[in-house]
Amino acid sequence: MGQEERHTEEKVYRQLRANSLLQEIMLRYMMEGQAASEQGKLAWVTSGFPVEIPVTMGVNVSYPEQYGAIIGSQKVGPEICGFAEELGYSQELCSYARSSIGSVRYPEKSPLDGLPKPQALLACNNICGTVLRWYDAVSQMTGAPVFLFDTPPTEGDQPSHHREYVRQSVLRLIDFLSRTFHTSFSEERLRKVGELSGEAIDLWTRSLKACRNRPSPLNCADRFLAMAPIVALRGTEPAIEFYQALLEEVQERVSQGLGAIRDERIRLLWDDIPPWFTIFRFFNGLAARGVVFPADTYTHAWSGSLAGADLLDSVVSVYSNVYLNKGLEAKVDKMCELIKEYSLDGFIMFSVRSCKRYSLGQLVSKELVMERTGVPGVVIEGDMVDSRLFNDAQIQTRLDALLEMFL
Amino acid sequence: MARRTTIGIGLDIGSTTTKGILVDSSGTVLAASLVTTGASAPIAARHVMDELSQTSGKELTGLPIITTGYGRTSVEFAHETVTEITCHSMGVHSLNPDIRLLIDVGGQDSKVIRIGPNGRPTDFELNDKCSAGTGRFLEVMARVLEVSIDDLGPLALRSTSPSTISSTCTVFAESEVVGRIGTGAAPADIAAGAHLAMAGKVATLAKRVGLVTPVGVTGGVALNPAFRHYLSKQLNSSLWMPDKPQLTGALGAAILAVKR
Ligand code: SF4
Repeated sequence: MGQEERHTEEKVYRQLRANSLLQEIMLRYMMEGQAASEQGKLAWVTSGFPVEIPVTMGVNVSYPEQYGAIIGSQKVGPEICGFAEELGYSQELCSYARSSIGSVRYPEKSPLDGLPKPQALLACNNICGTVLRWYDAVSQMTGAPVFLFDTPPTEGDQPSHHREYVRQSVLRLIDFLSRTFHTSFSEERLRKVGELSGEAIDLWTRSLKACRNRPSPLNCADRFLAMAPIVALRGTEPAIEFYQALLEEVQERVSQGLGAIRDERIRLLWDDIPPWFTIFRFFNGLAARGVVFPADTYTHAWSGSLAGADLLDSVVSVYSNVYLNKGLEAKVDKMCELIKEYSLDGFIMFSVRSCKRYSLGQLVSKELVMERTGVPGVVIEGDMVDSRLFNDAQIQTRLDALLEMFL
Repeated sequence: MARRTTIGIGLDIGSTTTKGILVDSSGTVLAASLVTTGASAPIAARHVMDELSQTSGKELTGLPIITTGYGRTSVEFAHETVTEITCHSMGVHSLNPDIRLLIDVGGQDSKVIRIGPNGRPTDFELNDKCSAGTGRFLEVMARVLEVSIDDLGPLALRSTSPSTISSTCTVFAESEVVGRIGTGAAPADIAAGAHLAMAGKVATLAKRVGLVTPVGVTGGVALNPAFRHYLSKQLNSSLWMPDKPQLTGALGAAILAVKR
């Protein structure tokens, strides 16, 4: 990066102080994962997994999707995905799956020497069906057994037989973890973990909501980094510690009228996973042109807390109703709601080649959202990890054309 | 800009051709130029500037220049760059303010733009990832049929029963056409089939943005009568085309330059 470019970045973007705490917490989390793996107590989980259950039972968790984001950020996606492609996996397969499989094959050639070896693989298909086959593949390579937490898609209200079915999955999960890790479950402990999880989610949600202010105290890249503990450390104290620090800083920015970017002129919604390999360049490039993203559909997806008298029922409803497990109509509603609530001028939908579950239907939703909100939007295509699928010039033309609509 | 001016220059640097227009504040075109882009966009842009200067007899130094098109950032003497989406929209609006939907098909891409009442785009879709649905598709077909690209359209219009070209991929369509030649299909029918397939792709893009009449067509491919014929049929709508459909992007850029 040239001197001049660095200078511009400093000018357009305000660094969060809380980021150093975030780094510290995430580093500690990774070291704990390593230690847990050595003690035979580590499970890999998908991002939408009811993680409070393994946490309650003393099982540590690692997130291959989060590791995929690290591979993306370190710009080695094509190389690590390539290892999976050499094994015969299609380029059409999700790049989180490909990079995970590639790094299991060659941990020594992967960032951080790969994720620590798992003793169990916990897949919940409330985000997509790919995770099951992906974990099956990892299971073949590592010998760790797979547990499928099956959450049929919800469309509108969830029928009672459907809830009962998912509830049985929770019971099976407890049984599976007890046998695999020789541990036990207690509802009392789940309540404690659920409370911790809820507290972190509440603090996080308050930071997100603060972005309704003008200028917005957080931009997209801030939230994409800050979401790491809500994904990986739900139900633990460090998550609360971080979200408290973040919220304080956010509130301080709001009270001083300081924005995440220095000169906020256009407020946009971001839809889908970000391109990790160019996340700063991308969002800071737009920030330099006065564009801020006070809201996105991705970091708003972790919002349900476990509560109520029947905790298992709460697990069922929170994890059946995650964003990606609902129909297109719910996604359109959510986008319209965010555009209104955060007073946004338009939206960008990133059509992520890897993630069919997130990206399918975007062309239709784009029209619907435009119709219902009256603000313009654009669909750009690419991927979150595999930078080979990201064409800068084509994306730039679409972004430029969108921004020209606001002139 | 140090001084106010009533003349502006628009340069549209496309992958196939580079176009330039000089307009005054009343929107009158003082000069126009079109050259092949070739290997160097900056050289092509210089060439166009020289032609504009010669045709108009004007000294162009100091006049505001806006560049557009895929090569828009490659010319260092431009004062501003604006996307071809906004430029085509503005250009067409200045020629026919009634047009609300514009279909522009160039050598390497096609775009559909919804034009707002003030001439600014309000929505758009681009196809720039796949050569089917662009001028390149027809160029390949002309080569296989051994006719010049200018003769391909008129040839297709002689057909009474277009061949079916099912592939939506240029490479596969090429082998499909070779197959049709092998089975003795008439060149006119094959040419018509190729236009039909291509117009179908473009029509799908247009429908995605939403059909609003009257529809305008621009870009080099708009000059092809068979393309217009089949597109008009597919959209079930008449099509308006400006006199020089390749130049609307440069025109829009020039109009924006005058307003700078
Ligand atoms: S397909 Fe989508 S939801 Fe599934 S693992 Fe990949 S990115 Fe996540």
